Amino acid sequence: MKTLRATVAIIGAGASGGAVAWRLASAGIDVLCLEQGDRLDQARSPALGHDWERALQTRFHPDPNIRRGAADYPVTAVDTPIQPALFNGVGGGLLRWGAHFPRLRPSDFRVRSLDGVADDWPISYDDLEPWYDLNDAMTGVAGLKGDPGNPPRRAERDPPLPLGLGGLRLAAGFDALGWHWWPSDAAILTRPRPGRAPCNNCGPCGVGCVRGARASADNTYWPAALAAGARLATGMRVLRLTTSDGGRCIAAIETVDRSGTRVRIESDIVVLAASGLGTPRLLLASADRHHPDGLANASGLVGRRLMHHPTAIVTGVFDARLDGHKGPFACALYSQEFYETDRSRGCVRGVQLQMLRGSGPVATALGGYMRRLDWGRGHHRDFVRQFARGATLTVTAEDLPDAENRVTLDATRADSDGLAAPRLGYRLSENSRRLLDFGIARAREALTAAGAREIAVNPLSRMAGFHFLGTARMGDDPSSSVVDGEGRCHAIANLSIVDGSVFVTAGAVNPTPTIQAFALRAADSIRARLKEHA
Amino acid sequence: MTSDATLDAVLSTLLPGDGPWPDAGTLGLAATLRADLGDHAAALHATLPPGFAASDEAARVAALRTLEVGQPALFERLIAVAYTAYYVDARVRATIERETGYENRPPQPLGYVLEPFDERLLDRQRQRAPFWRHA
Repeated sequence: MKTLRATVAIIGAGASGGAVAWRLASAGIDVLCLEQGDRLDQARSPALGHDWERALQTRFHPDPNIRRGAADYPVTAVDTPIQPALFNGVGGGLLRWGAHFPRLRPSDFRVRSLDGVADDWPISYDDLEPWYDLNDAMTGVAGLKGDPGNPPRRAERDPPLPLGLGGLRLAAGFDALGWHWWPSDAAILTRPRPGRAPCNNCGPCGVGCVRGARASADNTYWPAALAAGARLATGMRVLRLTTSDGGRCIAAIETVDRSGTRVRIESDIVVLAASGLGTPRLLLASADRHHPDGLANASGLVGRRLMHHPTAIVTGVFDARLDGHKGPFACALYSQEFYETDRSRGCVRGVQLQMLRGSGPVATALGGYMRRLDWGRGHHRDFVRQFARGATLTVTAEDLPDAENRVTLDATRADSDGLAAPRLGYRLSENSRRLLDFGIARAREALTAAGAREIAVNPLSRMAGFHFLGTARMGDDPSSSVVDGEGRCHAIANLSIVDGSVFVTAGAVNPTPTIQAFALRAADSIRARLKEHA
Repeated sequence: MTSDATLDAVLSTLLPGDGPWPDAGTLGLAATLRADLGDHAAALHATLPPGFAASDEAARVAALRTLEVGQPALFERLIAVAYTAYYVDARVRATIERETGYENRPPQPLGYVLEPFDERLLDRQRQRAPFWRHA
């Protein structure tokens, strides 16, 4: 067995792992990051070929159980209505994402105090704001300041992306109803940066960005981290963490490289950045005599309180062509008119409405945002009626934590290296269902006001398992949380968690900016501790 | 193994020719369908009635409707790979261009025009006072 040493070892090279690697390496700290996937050459994206939509159904399919890439692990998803969507590689899930880049609101950190549900975070929006700003600067964000629905943004922005024909109609619809809308903050450049060209409005961000306009950790944090001296080991699958000092410290990370060689990693500090699915999986799989229920699991909360962003999809078909295939599919505009709690709706917390542009031919036929087109005679008539004439609003609900929604280990299924597959157990709560139904009704109103002639509703997208949150929550009390407000494990002094696992509540927006801001803040905490002990 | 003739018959039933739209079973997509079905190809073979390829359209439609109802997961996979193979085919893309105006070219490297955002669109929204909750 080979042994490697580092001051800080990071598990996972995605959104949060890349941010931590850069922050620590920039301070002169010896960093080694372990990534089970490989680098993806985005300059050779399928967007350059006619079969780019086939790539979305095969090697870029969001579900690892269908994609079955060499770096993927199986995810047992029979006890959940929402299927997993994730990607393994340098850049992680950001290699596959739509780059919508909203922050949580200040109220998202205080849901117990404000609304009497779930729990408050041990940190506030103000605590996180400097790192949100730093993350914006590193990422490159297109957008516009002045949104009355959110606190003022200090970080500079590139000009916003164009709304497109569908966005113009929806904006007019929202205005007619007197409802909020604002152009999306997008992690997509509209001005050039060194090594990255501005967006050329091509559309399918999910197959990788040829131009580097769409931010992903491999084109934002990793070039800077590697230049600062960080080491990145790809094709390295972590099998388990071992402990020492009576279980109070991580002694080593046991891994296997792509040749099958076992490699032991020893470090002063271990940072878990493997996602809200991969992190609890590793903690549970690393159970030992000091931690019989999984590492850092004295609270019993590792893997529990799993939150998704349950999503309904409401699509309007218009008489006019909208050419929705033009422009980044997930970034145009959003409405947070209904984001905050209004108990007259019969539920707590709220929803965001976010526009998705149209679909390509394959996605139109498969009903990506609508019903699948029926087969047989009449199929092509329906295709012509719908293609390039749709605009969609997603309804994203804030899922509240429930201890019974959880990630466990599958006793009978494992990845190619023998590590138990994670198993999802998730039930949509009554509150989330009511939020979605409320949001669907509002989306119908907006699309009607925008002039849609036909509206189709998917009340719960099966493919919306793109966010895994809350499975190793932060808090001040070790009996009811796994890590503290800086991501440090209560039970294991040299273990930090920086991914979506630590979320206390989920908000109703994409969590990536918050995950990365938290990771940068946690990195600064680690840096301060190392300096103190030096 | 399911024969090319059977897979072509499946494709012709799912996506029959219609005016300018080519019949999916005439495009030589059987090998692609088999490859993309993977493990599901054998299940499909085991499910289709004997003589499927030689039967008339009504019988083929009935057989596939039975499959759609009885084995929805297998059928949805079949639909996914059949629709995908069909709509990425160059001949079909050319038809889409003629019938809808969609440009028959990959998204890159040309992309589409990135028009400037017209901030006047926000005149009404800018009149609104901040409504996020301080916390």
